[in-house]
Amino acid sequence: MNLPHYNYLTSDFQSYEFYSEGPKGQIKKAVTFSRIRDDPSTYNLALVDINPISGLTSDLTVSDNGDRDIILATVAYTVKDFSAHYGNHYIYAKGSTPVRTRLYQMGIAGLLEEINIDFDVYGVIEHIAYPFQKNVNYDAFVVKRK
Amino acid sequence: MPATKKAKSNISYGGGAIVSSDVKSYANDPVVIKKNEEARIAVSKLTLPASDKK
Repeated sequence: MNLPHYNYLTSDFQSYEFYSEGPKGQIKKAVTFSRIRDDPSTYNLALVDINPISGLTSDLTVSDNGDRDIILATVAYTVKDFSAHYGNHYIYAKGSTPVRTRLYQMGIAGLLEEINIDFDVYGVIEHIAYPFQKNVNYDAFVVKRK
Repeated sequence: MPATKKAKSNISYGGGAIVSSDVKSYANDPVVIKKNEEARIAVSKLTLPASDKK
């Protein structure tokens, strides 16, 4: 995988921070992985925006900073780093709204060849995970490092 | 002659996190907790591809 991505920071390889850059300026974002199932071991990936003044997080902010693919690539690299430190677990991800899930789907589809080098990618439809295919609408996504 | 300062790029290729003790844990963040709870319910019903069930 060799995709342009933002520099990202971590202290524990479980939570990560980076800055989106675009017409709306710099927007601080965080990615965090939390264990949500033991067998098979599955972690939830949460991507949130951080308010620069209050420090409060939000998963409903519409950044519209024109850098969706760079953000998704950055998230993919955090999955890679997380997996390198904690093992190859299933990672579950879903957008905070159907629109956002659809944006993730379009982003994954556009980067699929690169992402597939390192990850198995699945799309979820009605609680069943299928190998990810372009032009199919999914409810959520599951990835696992190869 | 005025000094020129080149802006440091925020874009990288090839990956690798920068380790910084300034990054806090978001494990106890209310928004993250809510998202995790929703995901826990969804994943409890999730069926993975047959070859990956172990």
